[in-house]
Amino acid sequence: MAAQALAAAAFREGNHALAFPFFGAERRGAPVLAFARVDSKKIRQRTQVYKPDYVVVLDDKLMGYVDVTAGLKEGGTLVVNSPLPPEKIVTERPVKCATVDATGVALEVLGVPVTNSAILGAFAKATGQIKLESVEKGIMDIFGARLGEKGGRKNADAARKAFEKTTAGMSVGGRKFKPVKKWLPDYKELPLSLGLRVTMTEAGRVGPGSFDVNKTGSWRTFAPVLDDAKCTNCLICWFYCPDGAVVRGEKHVSVNYDYCKGCGVCVEVCAPKALKWVRTEEVEEKLPSEAIA
Amino acid sequence: MTTVKELPVQDYFTSGHTACPGCGGAMVARIAMKVFGPNTVVYHPASCMLIFSSTYPNNAFKVPFLHVLFENSAVCAAGIKRALNRLGKSDVNVVAFAGDGGTADIGLQALSGAAERNEDIIYIMYDNEAYMNTGIQRSSSTPFGAWTTTTPVGSVHAGKVEFKKDVPRIMMAHDVPYVATASIAYPTDFIKKLEKAKAKKGFRYLQVLAPCPTGWKAESSKMVELARMAVETGIWTLMEYEDGKYTVNRTPKFSPVQDYLKAQGRFKHLTPEDIKKIQDWVKSKWEKDKALEQVYK
Amino acid sequence: MMQMKTQTEKKVVTGDYAAAHGALLARPKLIAAYPITPQTFIVEHMSEFIADGKLDADYMAVESEHSAMSACIAAEATGVRTYTATSSQGLALMHETLFVAAGLHLPIVMPVVNRTLAAPIGIWCEHNDTMPQRDTGWLQVYCEDNQEVLDMVIQAYKIAEDERVLLPIMVNLDAFILSHTVEPVDLLDQKMVDAFLPPYKPKHAYLDPSDPMVVGSFAPPEYIMEARYQTEMSMQAAREVIGEVTEEFADKFGRDYGGLIDTYRMDDAEVALMTLGTVTGTARDVVDSFRANGKKVGLIKLRFFRPFPARELIEATKGLKALGVYDRAISFGSGGPSWIETRHALYGHTDIPVTGFLAGLGGRDVTPENVGMMFDSLLGLAKGQGMPHVSWIGTRGVEP
Ligand SMILES: Cc1ncc(C[n+]2csc(CCOP(=O)(O)OP(=O)(O)O)c2C)c(N)n1
Ligand SMILES: [Mg+2]
Repeated sequence: MAAQALAAAAFREGNHALAFPFFGAERRGAPVLAFARVDSKKIRQRTQVYKPDYVVVLDDKLMGYVDVTAGLKEGGTLVVNSPLPPEKIVTERPVKCATVDATGVALEVLGVPVTNSAILGAFAKATGQIKLESVEKGIMDIFGARLGEKGGRKNADAARKAFEKTTAGMSVGGRKFKPVKKWLPDYKELPLSLGLRVTMTEAGRVGPGSFDVNKTGSWRTFAPVLDDAKCTNCLICWFYCPDGAVVRGEKHVSVNYDYCKGCGVCVEVCAPKALKWVRTEEVEEKLPSEAIA
Repeated sequence: MTTVKELPVQDYFTSGHTACPGCGGAMVARIAMKVFGPNTVVYHPASCMLIFSSTYPNNAFKVPFLHVLFENSAVCAAGIKRALNRLGKSDVNVVAFAGDGGTADIGLQALSGAAERNEDIIYIMYDNEAYMNTGIQRSSSTPFGAWTTTTPVGSVHAGKVEFKKDVPRIMMAHDVPYVATASIAYPTDFIKKLEKAKAKKGFRYLQVLAPCPTGWKAESSKMVELARMAVETGIWTLMEYEDGKYTVNRTPKFSPVQDYLKAQGRFKHLTPEDIKKIQDWVKSKWEKDKALEQVYK
Repeated sequence: MMQMKTQTEKKVVTGDYAAAHGALLARPKLIAAYPITPQTFIVEHMSEFIADGKLDADYMAVESEHSAMSACIAAEATGVRTYTATSSQGLALMHETLFVAAGLHLPIVMPVVNRTLAAPIGIWCEHNDTMPQRDTGWLQVYCEDNQEVLDMVIQAYKIAEDERVLLPIMVNLDAFILSHTVEPVDLLDQKMVDAFLPPYKPKHAYLDPSDPMVVGSFAPPEYIMEARYQTEMSMQAAREVIGEVTEEFADKFGRDYGGLIDTYRMDDAEVALMTLGTVTGTARDVVDSFRANGKKVGLIKLRFFRPFPARELIEATKGLKALGVYDRAISFGSGGPSWIETRHALYGHTDIPVTGFLAGLGGRDVTPENVGMMFDSLLGLAKGQGMPHVSWIGTRGVEP
């Protein structure tokens, strides 16, 4: 929706604009990718964007896994949702960077950690490519159509607030990424009927039961934190966790943050209230350091 | 009777799948697979569960897995089972996990056919009460009043005007060995029913209420609570039809339906009259349930 | 055709029986089917074989053709040989499932009794049921007589299950003209068939908890191009395999069908007609009578529509002055499917006129006179007389 609203905003300024998501298999909450193209004349290319002028990151946790600046043009700008100032943002190479605590803004203005409207205010401020008024109109066009006049207005307010709070600067380089490996067999190696047994490939395990190579921990904005002493080991959280992210132990359970998507079911079902609901940043050190497959 | 603690540690539906946080369907799959175990073949129609559990080359199921199409789950499971018998592997559980759309609507014909032939399979309908995979469109299993993208809240109509189709009773009419409903909020009841389904022979149908945070517009953390409220208000009956005998497994508290409806955005627009209609529907449903107990003793 | 090598018992049977008896000899483990005229005899015979203990298999009397093919797909994906048969509306109802059978490389064998597809509803012969299935990835062979039906069911398993192919196959027989017509058929010897056709033991797709496999996964764009290419490669490989199986069958059973195409009196032919299905037999007689009158005409029998025998047709049409292509179906807005494909196959290889004939739609009889008219116009065409791209034969109000 952020890309759509940006396109609508650009259109409001008399430009032609395209916005489209990459349709993946993930459900709500998973990291997603969306593109926007803006031009003064009609845009004819409909391929994905490989060399963007601007990269907008709605969830800074992703920057640990994905080299978000990989395709960014020389002189391009990175806009990040982060409470940190730009000079604390570590990327592969130093780039022009703007940051804003869009999650904080969203929680304050909307009451939910949904940052796709707020971040557009930051985009307007950081790039100067589009007026804040246009962004607000674009948000009214897209969010308003879904959520009604009031909902649209709130999101526009979030963008305005984020605009005000955005700081610009440079990121620092030096972050190293393991190249992301994908199993891409040619037609001779690809099993017929895509029939697949458990197989080790250069990109890891594939086949039945291999989905655990996908670390869904990056989805979360809130995380459950266990108070060991309070846990009665009743296992009701273990029973319900849809992601198998509660691990059984001798005396108490523990949370496997590699997979916990932060749905909060475990916190709700915990009778002795041994699980606490905490914003992810506060359990950051427990996050997986390995790149997701 | 197996308790939560006695369930195996091992998962046959692994972590890393891409269901929404809090997905009731994923809970159903994970718990069911703990009960069915490794000697199982799983069939999936097109549905959310297919997409979030099987993106090539990865798959969440540790057991053999087949997908063919959307409307043929029951017959595909039957084809697998008969082929396994022919290969001398008659001890393998064959389980279809299908959505409410794939069961109550487009898959009803194949389901009825397989039930009538008493195919030796376990059919689990995880009921999230709409076509979630394609973006929350109504199914015949969507309850009265619910907003979906094809029962929008407009100025003339608001939400679904029809009541939910009662698939368990359709299955009872086939007189298959086992028909049951379950709710994830009642672990021992749910586990017991999975175990019964596993132990029996012939066609076994289990319909499990699987709340969907995205489609129901509710907090992901509240999924179990919603599944409980559905039962306690009497909206969702926990029943069993076993070898000709009908049993209601739990007498609800009959807490006002309003509590359940209020907790979900899909019912936000309901008027007091709508709510009364639902409350009345619960009453008549309960009367029918009790009458059925008398008929099928 | 070669001389018979073996003489087994011949019985006077229908085409439907021949299709069923072929299946009996191939020992499928699961049959799932739904009755439709004029295929009904096939499912009845299969049920009887099982009821009489002649065939040890599951018969699934499913509630639709969609389910029939679904059951075959699931059972075949589990690892057993399957069989079904259908016709017309039933095949149309299966359409969605046919792509899955091919996409999962499941060598299912299915006789299709070619019947007109509504509307208007009818039960007689037309190829507008199978022709629209040409892009599903199934092999298709069209039969001329009941013996060919039986022989092709056996060969179909051998071709489809070959590891180079692993694609499903339709064995097509004309409604009533074969399905309900009796003629003497060599019913083959079970031991010889067993020696010809080994049991099905798939390595690429099976469902076994002791060695789990995912079959039919949801696949992102990264994988589908290669999968499509594999299917095309399998289709291409089928050309060679069909040749080999034709030879082996001829060797063991004494009947040589010629492979992808068969030819009749083509040696010095100036014009030729290409036919498929039962019209071929009528056309053989017409060729003989034209030849008796000194007219140099010949016949090409299109056996396999998929894979389409491009190379063979280029070869067979060398030296001709005109070619006519007969179709029992039309792709509206274009022409008969085999005419379209033939022109495509010959493009750049010939400059002779290639004209299309439509006859026998909806089950109208295609008489020797109708076929004679086709040859007459071809002879005229060879002399430079003009004619339309596509001619409707025996259609009231349409100029011949
Ligand atoms: C023949 C056919 N029609 C439509 C679709 C599109 N489709 C895929 S999944 C789906 C809805 C699934 O709903 P349900 O069975 O309730 O499962 P859910 O996604 O809600 O878990 C639809 C309509 C299809 N795949 N095949
Ligand atoms: Mg559903």
